[in-house]
Amino acid sequence: MSDFAGMEDLLQDFLQEANDLLSDVDNKLVDLEKSPDDRGLLNDIFRGFHTIKGGAGFLNATELVTVCHRTETLFDKLRNGELSLSPELMDMIMAATKTVRDMFGELSSGVQPSPAEADLLENLKAAAEGNLEALAPPPVAAQAAQAVLPADKPGDPNWEALHASVSGEAKSGEVIPAATVIHSAENESGGGQEPPKSAPKPVVAPKSGGGGRRVESATRENTIRVDTARLDQVLNLSGEIGLTKNRLTSLRADILGGKNDSETLHALDQAVSQLDLLVSDLQNSVMKTRMQPIGRLFQKYPRIARDLARQLGKDVELVLAGEETEVDKNMIEDLSDPLIHLIRNAVDHGVESPDERAANGKPAKSLVRLEARQEGDHIVLIVADDGHGMNAERIRAKAVEKGLITEEEANTLDDRQSFNLILLPGFSTKTEISDVSGRGVGMDVVKTNIQKLNGSIDIRSEPGKGSVFLISLPLTLAILPVLLVLLGDQPFALPLSLVREILPIERDKVQEVGGKSTLVVRGEILPVISLVRLLGWTQERYPEYGVLMQTAERSFILGVDSFAGRDDAVIKSLEDFRPRGVAGVTTLSNGQIVLILDMKELLSDAFQQLDIGRGGSRVPSLDVA
Amino acid sequence: MADPKMRILVVDDFSTMRRIVRNLLKELGFTNVDEAEDGAIALQKLQAETFEFVVTDWNMPNMDGLTLLQTIRATPALQHLPVLMVTAEAKKENIIAAAQAGASGYIVKPFTSATLSEKLNKIFEKMAAK
Repeated sequence: MSDFAGMEDLLQDFLQEANDLLSDVDNKLVDLEKSPDDRGLLNDIFRGFHTIKGGAGFLNATELVTVCHRTETLFDKLRNGELSLSPELMDMIMAATKTVRDMFGELSSGVQPSPAEADLLENLKAAAEGNLEALAPPPVAAQAAQAVLPADKPGDPNWEALHASVSGEAKSGEVIPAATVIHSAENESGGGQEPPKSAPKPVVAPKSGGGGRRVESATRENTIRVDTARLDQVLNLSGEIGLTKNRLTSLRADILGGKNDSETLHALDQAVSQLDLLVSDLQNSVMKTRMQPIGRLFQKYPRIARDLARQLGKDVELVLAGEETEVDKNMIEDLSDPLIHLIRNAVDHGVESPDERAANGKPAKSLVRLEARQEGDHIVLIVADDGHGMNAERIRAKAVEKGLITEEEANTLDDRQSFNLILLPGFSTKTEISDVSGRGVGMDVVKTNIQKLNGSIDIRSEPGKGSVFLISLPLTLAILPVLLVLLGDQPFALPLSLVREILPIERDKVQEVGGKSTLVVRGEILPVISLVRLLGWTQERYPEYGVLMQTAERSFILGVDSFAGRDDAVIKSLEDFRPRGVAGVTTLSNGQIVLILDMKELLSDAFQQLDIGRGGSRVPSLDVA
Repeated sequence: MADPKMRILVVDDFSTMRRIVRNLLKELGFTNVDEAEDGAIALQKLQAETFEFVVTDWNMPNMDGLTLLQTIRATPALQHLPVLMVTAEAKKENIIAAAQAGASGYIVKPFTSATLSEKLNKIFEKMAAK
């Protein structure tokens, strides 16, 4: 199955390291466009391809070696000043980088990369020979210098003879001129000595998803790099916990043996408190081993933004901030697509063309800012552009036209609520779907992906000044702060992130509107849904308390009997047996098992029923706090 | 035959590559191996500790393999230290430059443990002959 039997470890290491290298190369390429003569940059990029080539050789990934080799040769010329960078060359280099990345994708699914496009290889070679810019063919000497020994004959040059001839160690009879030694190998490579190609084929712009190449994303990285200091801390804590356990075992023996003086009980109290502290420290430390700086994700984006801007004839710079912010590894992977989409969206729809910007007195270069920061127990991600902003009126009109909301509903929405309409499935204001962001993926998918991570998204926009997309995410997916509510004496856990407030339900204030219970909270009419009914139980008494909850789609009041407090739940998933509406289970301190409710699932059933009364149109609640 | 306990320094900026070289050396029975990420770090290690053999990459940040080699040859305490250049550079001028700088051997990536063994033995033979 795998082309790499017995080398999986090596392959994983290589991919991780080589991916980092390539991202670094990508960023340096973006910098290089700004300062094309920077020798340091050229050298670094050269070394990047060179190093990847070296590693690929050991994996027998010959196709990868070929692309890297040709690109490296080109950079060798660039850094030596034999060639200078042109936009055509830059496009070609970008295409080569993309090919290398695609090949990493193939490698990560365990197959040897398929050959790069022949045109690209031809062009790289022609460019390195200086033919791309219709320069006169380089003098023969320079061509000879380019000769390369065949890669499949390791160490082919007769090193001993060469070494001897150079260092003068050889006995008189066997002196072999260095040039001869090399020459024998040169013939096979043929590299520099072919007649120059008449005209290079035009550079093919990288097609997205073109070719039969299997592209990355198919497989997830299943290894992680952890700072050894963090692992040491975990080790330390588990050692301490072991010691505390020993202490408890001995105390138990004492107590079971009838010893219950105040000293023993005090010692027990101390040991338990200590264990408490240690376990929560351990949980934190283990969680931290999963945390990775988000910069590893960010570093792919300047290149994506640049390619797209170039394609659209715009001048856009992606500014990164907060790359050191740490995010759960799984989350990083799941954030990749939504962020790419938001960045594409900003470049494509957000910012104006240079002409339009000039007409409005803005600098020609647009800035798109991608920022991450931690706020309390949340991670905030921001994608902001300095473009033309959004027109709330147009968005409302479009939503009505598309049948997403009714005219009356549109009239009740303020500007901020209107912006959130673009997150609805089936919404797209650009009449013509552009080649770029029209990949069949809408903003609704961004929202769905963010919600899967228990996060939320908010949009702000100011006409003429730009738009801001704000994503808020919990720090980790492993521990979920929950509110424990009671139905009778049966507890249920609700994700605390959805809870806005808790209020008593006074029966005489509940109004029946169209057969549904509603309650007015500070002027806002909210439906009251009884949890008992949501679960399909029979309602025996009227709920006494309401939990005002807010999901991305709607706000409502959940009727419950009482509360049992809040808790940090460690979620255990119910893998084989998962009833609808249950996200998982957790265990309370008294050993009781509690179901954690998946409000979205429960609600989707409930609201479908509710919505029938309103002519079937789904009504999004757009008030975002 | 060389002492399998001989202390070897592997210099490469790509950790995967250090691991590969290390594994190949292990296959040949050499287990006393330390690593350095570039020429500058290697030089510090060479000056602070005792090594009997250096296997170095050519292209590295801070200090490349050739400069490392030249510095070794110019340092009285290190000048006789055998240095094997491991690199993907298979160009004539590179090979000549390595030879002129006093490399004990030159090996082109990728290579097998057999090739490495052959190169090492040649170097040991030459050293023994001196």
